[in-house]
Amino acid sequence: MSSSPHIPNAPPLDLSRWRQVPNWLIVGGAAGALLGLVLSPRQFGYSWLLAFMFFLSLALGGLFLVLVHHLFDAGWSVPIRRFCEHLACLLAPWLAVLFLPIAVLAPTLYGWMSVADPHADHALHAKWPLFTKPAWYAVTALCFGVWWWLSSRLRYWSLRQDQTGAPECTYKMRRYAGGGIFLFALTLTLAAILWMKGLMYHWFSTMYGVYYFAASVWLTVATVYIITMVLKRTRTLEAVLHEHQFYFLGSLLFAFTVFYAYIHFSQYFIIWNANVPEETFWYVIREQGTWFYVGLVIIFGHFFVPFLALLRIDLKLTFGWMLPVCLWAWAMHYLDLAFNILPVAHPDGYPWQWAWLDLACTALIGGLLAKAWLKSLHRHPPYPLRDPRLAEAMGHVHPVASPISGGEMDETDELADAGADGRRGAS
Amino acid sequence: MAGAVPPGAEVRVIGPPQELERVPLVANQRSLAWVSDRVAGIVEGRAPLWWWVAFVPSVVALLLLGAMLVYQISTGVGVWGNNHPVMWGWDIINFVWWIGIGHAGTLISAILFLLRQRWRTAVNRAAEAMTIFAVMCAGIYPALHVGRIWFDWWLFPVHNSQSLWPQFRSPLMWDVFAVSTYFTVSVLFWYMGLIPDLAVFRDRAKTKLRKFFYGLFALGWTGSNRHWSNYEKAYLILAGLSTPLVLSVHSIVSLDFAVSQLPGWHTTIFPPYFVAGAIFSGFGMVLTLLIPLRKWCHLEDIITQRHIDVMCKVTLATGSIVGYAYGMEFFIAWYSGSPYERFAFINRAMGPYAWGYWTMIFCNVVAPQLFWSRRIRSNLLVVWILSIVVNVGMWFERFVIIVISLHRDFLAANWGHYLPTWVDVCTYLGTFGLFFTCFLLFMRFLPMIAIAEVKGVTPQADPHHPLGGAKSGGHPA
Repeated sequence: MSSSPHIPNAPPLDLSRWRQVPNWLIVGGAAGALLGLVLSPRQFGYSWLLAFMFFLSLALGGLFLVLVHHLFDAGWSVPIRRFCEHLACLLAPWLAVLFLPIAVLAPTLYGWMSVADPHADHALHAKWPLFTKPAWYAVTALCFGVWWWLSSRLRYWSLRQDQTGAPECTYKMRRYAGGGIFLFALTLTLAAILWMKGLMYHWFSTMYGVYYFAASVWLTVATVYIITMVLKRTRTLEAVLHEHQFYFLGSLLFAFTVFYAYIHFSQYFIIWNANVPEETFWYVIREQGTWFYVGLVIIFGHFFVPFLALLRIDLKLTFGWMLPVCLWAWAMHYLDLAFNILPVAHPDGYPWQWAWLDLACTALIGGLLAKAWLKSLHRHPPYPLRDPRLAEAMGHVHPVASPISGGEMDETDELADAGADGRRGAS
Repeated sequence: MAGAVPPGAEVRVIGPPQELERVPLVANQRSLAWVSDRVAGIVEGRAPLWWWVAFVPSVVALLLLGAMLVYQISTGVGVWGNNHPVMWGWDIINFVWWIGIGHAGTLISAILFLLRQRWRTAVNRAAEAMTIFAVMCAGIYPALHVGRIWFDWWLFPVHNSQSLWPQFRSPLMWDVFAVSTYFTVSVLFWYMGLIPDLAVFRDRAKTKLRKFFYGLFALGWTGSNRHWSNYEKAYLILAGLSTPLVLSVHSIVSLDFAVSQLPGWHTTIFPPYFVAGAIFSGFGMVLTLLIPLRKWCHLEDIITQRHIDVMCKVTLATGSIVGYAYGMEFFIAWYSGSPYERFAFINRAMGPYAWGYWTMIFCNVVAPQLFWSRRIRSNLLVVWILSIVVNVGMWFERFVIIVISLHRDFLAANWGHYLPTWVDVCTYLGTFGLFFTCFLLFMRFLPMIAIAEVKGVTPQADPHHPLGGAKSGGHPA
């Protein structure tokens, strides 16, 4: 792995020997998941939910990056937008289909669904009609419907622009992003509440949707950094990438490292300080057995380690440094979700005896999604070919009459001065 | 690896169509000298009539503040409307309101600097000044509300005669340290940025007095390579230090409420919600101040329509985040099943102060949505009115949180009604006097635009641009 994003003479990365990895993951994961389903359907359900929420984070994060790209009229993120669109499109139909085991096993996973008389339980009675089976399934369908609509429309207009180059496509995507950001916030919050917080339905926190959002984007930015790095090394995006894509992604990862810690600390601190039993029990359970140590690992591993690792500007551009940091982010987000989900079934500590099932479900879902994502990547151009901000993303100034691009780019140092006609072609 | 474009294929690069061209940050191809002349001209010329029209009432209001402070200190906090069950009233509302406004300046200077948002250069100086003056206004309230102001020094961890130490577990103590640290660093940051521009004023000064004072505060700045190198390092470090402070101050202010067990106050989303609200109100005030000033000071080519447009978008984004927080509070009050939480929020929306709640919703959530329209964003009068609506809405947000949450306690026996006194009202008006007096003096004596930074985003500063570097001496050919 090179220590710099600029590796003009390095040979292209050969990924042919990794081509079968998704298949191996699918086969191995399916075998393990099937065995787990036979041995303990309930445990299989929790392991599946954990893996599902992990990959849901990635797809929702991809959708968020696409939405904010259009909302901010960003320039630098054009080259990475296409594969983020593919990540977002995993939400439907792929993740919708992969949600089916959760939908089937929901009465086993969610304690409130098996309460004999919901009106005798005040916490459940108060949540009527949201915490009823029809509403739960209806909201689930709503979430996937919204995600399918948003992600597919955004990618449709993006691909359309590849053919026409029309500014109208940009405006269309901005309009979808404008309405979409509200729908995104609503559906992500509902999903986090119904699918994760609802596991302990007596507990409540206004921060929970923000918490899942912050963690999801953190994971996604780490993933996008790795993908960008790989696509650069394979020469797929080499021609359109500039150093600032890596710098901005590293900065975003740093920002969300801090933002996540801020969100999680605020939630914990306010609950701890007020010491109201209806809220503290959620954390008290997570201080039992090995969960206490998992909590410590999250404090240090989810914040301090990446915070220190990402402080220096030059390290954000060093592949050899960033690759383990990004992989570490995967591990920490997975552990964080386990900290949220698994104490419901295993209040005494992390169920080491079922770790293989967690990994099997993760491998199966991960393998399937990887295949789907790679298929999309192969089928379509790897970056928006005729996006109006592509030149800017590549670090080119594009002087028209005389003013520059408005000062968006930090570095336009790779090019000679513009020609007399004010336009510049580049290789 | 991927479809349609084989690896290593040639990329055809074309600029964007005209309708999607970026608008330059300094309009009309102004030269570097023009920037210096225009900004320095605000200070060097005679004070225009409008300045006196604004300054005289501001000083009168400042005198009113002084009178109210003397009256309050000599009589006691009983002159305010605070009374059972609303023991916090306009004092805390106005404290939080002013502190919120004081967020935009350092946010623009520090966070937007780290995020490489170059449009900040035209507005950061005035916004920083606004921050400092707003925090000064805010600081008056906690200092006074303790009742015996001569004991304020007990707030600091100095060994006093009774061997008493501050209660560090109290969020009010955290406020003292958060706000004072924020103020100190904001002043340092502001002054740091001023140094190169003070040297410009020094070099242009025509009187000995001006030359002496601008020279004194310019700290011997010569514009040498070494000076700029040190300056930029220090600026980056201060930006890094200021960034967590921007976020921490209003987070800690939110903890004044959130760590309690009071329905409507104890909610985990308060820290980010307060920070978003502070940025929202801060940008509202920046727009309120700069839209008239750019016209009166003829700065339209520096504070361009693009700057207004971007600030409207920040206001829209933060207003929407605040709207999300309002929604989540209401939703979780219902979701929790807590009858007290539910009552607190139903009382907000349908109780005797419902007008305050719906004013807040209209001003902070509904009205900013108009900024989705480009036509609205380009109509300066409408933007200015909406910025005032935002300021009003954010005042009502604090009114809703504080007064409506307190006026009906857990027991009906503890229900009451809150009314501010004339002292509350006059003190609040007086803080406007302090704020505007300071701001007007600032713009008469100091560069209200960061001259050096604005020059840095002109085409002439880009060595690769046709106008850049030494090609034409920084002037259009």
